[in-house]
Amino acid sequence: MVSRSFPQLLTCFNRTAVGSAGCRRFSITPPGRATPQSNTAVERVTSPWTLMAAVCLQRLPVITADCSPIEQRFKQMMQQMELEKSLLSDHELRLMEDAERMSRKQGNEYDSDEEEGHGDQAIMLAQDLEDTWEQRFKSFQPAPRVRADLDKDLTSVQRCLADSLVLLAEQQVGAEKLWLLPQAAWQEGETLRQTAERALCSVTAAGFKATFLGNAPCGVYKYKLPKAARTESSVGTKVFFFKAILADSAPGTAPNTALLWVKKSELQKYLKPAYMMKVDRCILSL
Amino acid sequence: MNHVFRKLQVTVTQQASILSPSLCRTTPSIQHPVWCTASVGDREYKGMPTHGIGRWKYLLPRQAPKKKKDKTQMKQMVSATDTAYGTLNVKVSGYDMTVVEHYSQYIHNLCNRLGIQVAESYALPTKSTEVMLMQEQGNKMYVEAVLKTHQRVVQLSSLNTSLCPIFVDVLLKNQPEGVQLSVKEHTEADFQARFKARPELEGLIAQINQ
Repeated sequence: MVSRSFPQLLTCFNRTAVGSAGCRRFSITPPGRATPQSNTAVERVTSPWTLMAAVCLQRLPVITADCSPIEQRFKQMMQQMELEKSLLSDHELRLMEDAERMSRKQGNEYDSDEEEGHGDQAIMLAQDLEDTWEQRFKSFQPAPRVRADLDKDLTSVQRCLADSLVLLAEQQVGAEKLWLLPQAAWQEGETLRQTAERALCSVTAAGFKATFLGNAPCGVYKYKLPKAARTESSVGTKVFFFKAILADSAPGTAPNTALLWVKKSELQKYLKPAYMMKVDRCILSL
Repeated sequence: MNHVFRKLQVTVTQQASILSPSLCRTTPSIQHPVWCTASVGDREYKGMPTHGIGRWKYLLPRQAPKKKKDKTQMKQMVSATDTAYGTLNVKVSGYDMTVVEHYSQYIHNLCNRLGIQVAESYALPTKSTEVMLMQEQGNKMYVEAVLKTHQRVVQLSSLNTSLCPIFVDVLLKNQPEGVQLSVKEHTEADFQARFKARPELEGLIAQINQ
């Protein structure tokens, strides 16, 4: 294997309001990679396994998941406790002062000269401020959290905003078409991570921007060819999985292969059992 | 030298004899003051079974003598090797202080659990942002709100490459709302940015250099 120095990782992940693309906004500073130094005299041990690299591209959740009933009750109780233990804020103190001043004004013995200089507070009451804020809040329309039609569409990247989704592609393996994580064969002179990046580009036609989470694979799947097809030089394939996070989901062109975005619970319907076991271990169900 | 000592001893023994009636009531007879005997070799109290019973400082490890004036030095920066990243800064920032602090504590605890060495864990100064809105009638802007951005940094001394994707994945999956996460390399400039500028000192240095 060609030796290369280690690229540095510089990434920035934002979890703020939902952007137009329905994904977390990312800022990626490209890592400074050194060019690979090719050793002139390299003893390559040819192994009978063909190497492939697959990319486990995940779209992270965009909104928070709904709380279970116990969580809701606990949340309410904690909020109530904190409210009862807390001190009054500046705004609430102002409200109380204004109310008190109002009541004194209405009283018989009111001398405006004795009033301390509260200039603008007398003009703009705290209650008025609160009313304007209420008005503005009412006129704000948030986007709907769950859209049933989008949830059912498996090819849309905006489905199930509260869960994390994995990309599956239908690829030709041997004689049949299977649903797999997008994979590509390893070629001489490149690292496995570059192979995984190439796999992503080829499958999605360069529509997705992904951040790879490191140079080390997170899982491996070994496939031995059936005895009839085995030869001296090819016993089977080893597929290494690399984790990546979706940065920008603006599909420029239509993908050339069929793509699916599935939740971890739905993976079972599409993947072969042996493959599914290995992939399952890589994906965190949080 | 010797006759000086003997003179001291003479005067001292005289005092001891004068005071001995009062001393005897309070002190046990075995203990004799040090300067009564001729040489250090036969201190009688060392024969006491409980001699040196309260000593503990000799059990502590040897510490170098602490210098009073110690300028804050940066911890040694680890450089990246083939199998591990160097010193990394995991910066957590957001508007809600409790959420930001709890998330940074979660990251620190996770590192302890996973065996990742945490070099430092500190906070950067809070930045206040004033949100100003234009008035509906007129050109004046008025202050609508003041937003405070809190930042916490967890500095990792080294991170294994095989552990890195899993670690970052766990951090991202547990990231709370309204919190920004950033993983960067630690540089000398980052360390120097934490210190306050001292304009008088810089002025004096400039004057000296001129």
